[in-house]
Amino acid sequence: MTLSISLSVNGESLNVPLEDTRTTLLDLLREHIGLTGTKKGCDRGQCGACTVLLDGKRINACLTLAASVDGTDVTTIEGLAQGDTLHPVQAAFIEHDGFQCGYCTTGQIMSAVGLLSEGDAGADPERIREGMSGNICRCAAYPGITAAVLDAERRQSESEGTSV
Amino acid sequence: MGAYLQPDTLDEALGILAREPVTIAAGCTDLFAATESQSLNGTVLDVTRIEGLRRIAKDATGWRIGAASTWSDVIAADLPPAFDMLKQAAREVGSVQIQNAGTVAGNICNASPAADGVPPLLSLDAHVEIGAKGGPREVPLAEFLTAPRATVLMPGEMVTAIRIPDVSDKGESRFSKLGARKYLVISIVMVAARLHVQDGFVRDIALSVGACGPVATRLAALEEALRGTPLAGLPDRLQPDLIASALTPITDMRASDEYRREAAVHLLRRVLDDLTLMRSPV
Repeated sequence: MTLSISLSVNGESLNVPLEDTRTTLLDLLREHIGLTGTKKGCDRGQCGACTVLLDGKRINACLTLAASVDGTDVTTIEGLAQGDTLHPVQAAFIEHDGFQCGYCTTGQIMSAVGLLSEGDAGADPERIREGMSGNICRCAAYPGITAAVLDAERRQSESEGTSV
Repeated sequence: MGAYLQPDTLDEALGILAREPVTIAAGCTDLFAATESQSLNGTVLDVTRIEGLRRIAKDATGWRIGAASTWSDVIAADLPPAFDMLKQAAREVGSVQIQNAGTVAGNICNASPAADGVPPLLSLDAHVEIGAKGGPREVPLAEFLTAPRATVLMPGEMVTAIRIPDVSDKGESRFSKLGARKYLVISIVMVAARLHVQDGFVRDIALSVGACGPVATRLAALEEALRGTPLAGLPDRLQPDLIASALTPITDMRASDEYRREAAVHLLRRVLDDLTLMRSPV
């Protein structure tokens, strides 16, 4: 029996056959759809490297059954930039050196995008550290990551302030 | 490969449960950790799309947390201060990524001795609403959990909601969890306290300790000793012997049994200090 699911990935509608109900969203993205920007770190929900947005909320793609995302909207790191213009969180990570080896970075950035849209961390570094605690960085680039998220938050609230 | 079923109605789900053995899936945050094999055997029943199952609301008899409600749903819900301990626990379940997927009902069905949701729910006198084709039943959470990883849930049944009677949504509450680090960690010890004060006296108190025995437990003897006593000096009247006699901690990679016993007393004192200070006149 083959299962087929429909979903939107970074705005593109896809129809994907599934041969195994245990296929994760992470493997679906990397192996079936070919989007390898989402990383596999621990593959058991402990490191956050596989963070993506599911209907706008951040989740661990490694703990999500692909079969369960039928009809949903998935955003990965590949869906953030507008052409050559980086997403403000991506730009802030570069500016504040929010990484060293880079393996966890795509998960860190997706998690930060999710955190900013949740809208309750504000400019409090401790709340940002709490909100980013599901993303482990083995290089311990945490000071740069916190600075980048704080800066992205500041830019976001400024641009929201000017647009009102 | 087995089938993957995502029913829209509870009737449909109960029909499937009556017909065949299934693996019930909701947030899947524990299902994966518990599934070592590369394929899930048999049929998977995904309960997250059942209409009405992801609602948190109050009715005539109390509060109802639908079985597909996530930890993030609990954090966002408008609930009285008696639920603050449940919200505090929710914010310490794994990471936000986990909280967005994992469900409160899944946490109790998984029945880990260190389940973060259990002590606050015990202190709220929670009941578990169980659905089956033959009709629903309801059991107190303390009876629902029987041993590590074991519940009274029978084949053909599923949890449909967690119910909090409205007599138990009174007072203020606190949760505290001790782990090797602050976030994304399995509890060494955790406590959940609900305190209802009237005219400077303890009208009701509910104290629960988790990760200190096969299942989390209420401290009934200590609660009894504290009911009716003055609020002033309450934390000083915690009797370590009444705490110790209710706990059966084990020694494992995270801590020794002696350490857990002692830590439980300190955590209880801390949450009661906090609840008492909050109520003191300024």
